[in-house]
Amino acid sequence: MRTSDRARRTSSAVVLYVIILVSFQVFLVTVAVEAFQTDAESLAWATAVVSVALFAAAAAFLRYLRP
Amino acid sequence: MTGNDAPVEVPVAPPWKRDFPYETLSEEEVTRREFARYLVLGAGTIAVANVGIAVWTQLRSINTGEPRAITALSAVDVGEPHLFSYPGDDDPAILVRLSDTDIVAFSQKCTHLGCVVYYEPDRGRWHCPCHEGNFEASTGAVISGPPTRPLGRIDVEVRKDGMIWALGRQV
Repeated sequence: MRTSDRARRTSSAVVLYVIILVSFQVFLVTVAVEAFQTDAESLAWATAVVSVALFAAAAAFLRYLRP
Repeated sequence: MTGNDAPVEVPVAPPWKRDFPYETLSEEEVTRREFARYLVLGAGTIAVANVGIAVWTQLRSINTGEPRAITALSAVDVGEPHLFSYPGDDDPAILVRLSDTDIVAFSQKCTHLGCVVYYEPDRGRWHCPCHEGNFEASTGAVISGPPTRPLGRIDVEVRKDGMIWALGRQV
């Protein structure tokens, strides 16, 4: 069975989105470590919340990948 | 024992495959979905790490230090800095006698990235040479450069015995 071009493009886009989200997560780790070093509790919590939200978004994108 | 215990035939690889084993690309292929799943797993791990860092930042206790003598007042000239460690032995601190009666002390760690700051008496400021951060001499407030927070101030007082005491670090 051939996969349609539309489905293939959708899969590529989803993987690309997930890569971007994970890259942003790596950046957030550096922000969290700096917040730790400077005792910036509010920044550390904000970073954690955004990080969890990005993870949820990345997990949600998996639904659009064909099995 | 049952009657169904017939010996299981184990497939035997042909001699040429035992002597020259190789795998085709398709045998180790990672599908796009698997790849994305690994990425999401990594994202989840990082998210957990970020939450852990936030919890650690919230819960750790900051050592503000116990009162202790630093040095004799007579040993510090006006305009001259004096280096010491406070609150711990690994925490560099610096005090300067701005006038006969005015003494200020700060953590020597720059609030930008932790380089040590130096006193510049001619300009009346603390200077961080790493990224050109400058702090006001008497208050530790940021004058210029990348730091956004003032220097960590250490409360000091001169006691009757003529010794300068550190009372605690402000958080």
